[in-house]
Amino acid sequence: MRDDQSVIALVTRAAGDDQQAWDELIERYAPLVWAICTRYRLSNHDIEDVGQSVWLLLVEQLGKLREPAALPGWLATTTKRECLRVVMAARKSQQLGSTVDDTLFADERAIDEQILIAERNAALRAGFAELPPHAQQLLAMLFRDPPCSYSEISATLGIPIGSIGPQRARCLERLRHSSALTAFGEIEFSISSPRGGHGA
Amino acid sequence: MLDSWTDDQLLAALGAAIRARQAVPDALVEVGKGAYAWHRIDAELAQLTYDSMTDLTAAVRSETASIRALTLTSPHLSMELEVSEDCLLGQVIPPRAGTLEAQTGAGASTETTVDEIGCFAVDPTPASPFRLRFRAADGTDVLTGWITL
Repeated sequence: MRDDQSVIALVTRAAGDDQQAWDELIERYAPLVWAICTRYRLSNHDIEDVGQSVWLLLVEQLGKLREPAALPGWLATTTKRECLRVVMAARKSQQLGSTVDDTLFADERAIDEQILIAERNAALRAGFAELPPHAQQLLAMLFRDPPCSYSEISATLGIPIGSIGPQRARCLERLRHSSALTAFGEIEFSISSPRGGHGA
Repeated sequence: MLDSWTDDQLLAALGAAIRARQAVPDALVEVGKGAYAWHRIDAELAQLTYDSMTDLTAAVRSETASIRALTLTSPHLSMELEVSEDCLLGQVIPPRAGTLEAQTGAGASTETTVDEIGCFAVDPTPASPFRLRFRAADGTDVLTGWITL
């Protein structure tokens, strides 16, 4: 997100001395790092290694990022490079030769799309966090996979079945107009609408 | 873009976003938060400028594959490293004496002496990832980037 002021603010604060801002950056971008690692079919242990290297490199970069908004791209590239390093080290130690096949290089377009999905997901989570607790509860029951039935929702939240539909619409409208999603919507994207898939 | 989504699409996207966060192992997040301890260390940084592992021409020489050669360069000096499973050998160029500290990402630290021709040995090889900090009597203080084995 080229103009995401919240990311720029977090990077600036973390570059100073602000553990909380740093923690927020980690929370925001861990799913992106994780999603890229899973493309390389690494073990959980290897993913932790890659993650540690990526985060440590990010600490070093904090004061140097000229364009904090370029952070997601930097993270994706760095994670990919660290994954390749782990994969190549494993191959060498297994004497599998040094040929590097194409499967090692997830195609760039896929990585770009992953960055966009990760940014969209971060915006959705931030927007969700802005909602009042009762709206969060209702939406959480509705997006559960498989979703809860209206009678279950009615019994759990103590609201009449007939008002669930209208409340759902109001909560989603609130989400749509949350400051996180409004900021996100101002940037033009060319990714397609979701089909309920599990992205980054 | 989000404005044009239907309620169903928005709800599905929200569910996917929340699940994507839940899928991330806690350890990955915790190790990230802990990494901030390395923020603001006052030393000149040496960056990786050569790595035999990512050098495909070197990889062809399979007999040397068990030893990894690395070069790290800062504005004032460079470090040549040879890393095997057992130990790490290195030289500071231009040569000078001092102390070398190996710090692991997990927080362990070992110190070793750098002799007057700039050579040092770290035995056993530090756990990955690690970084090296070289300090000389003349005030030189150089810290390498993180090295992953």
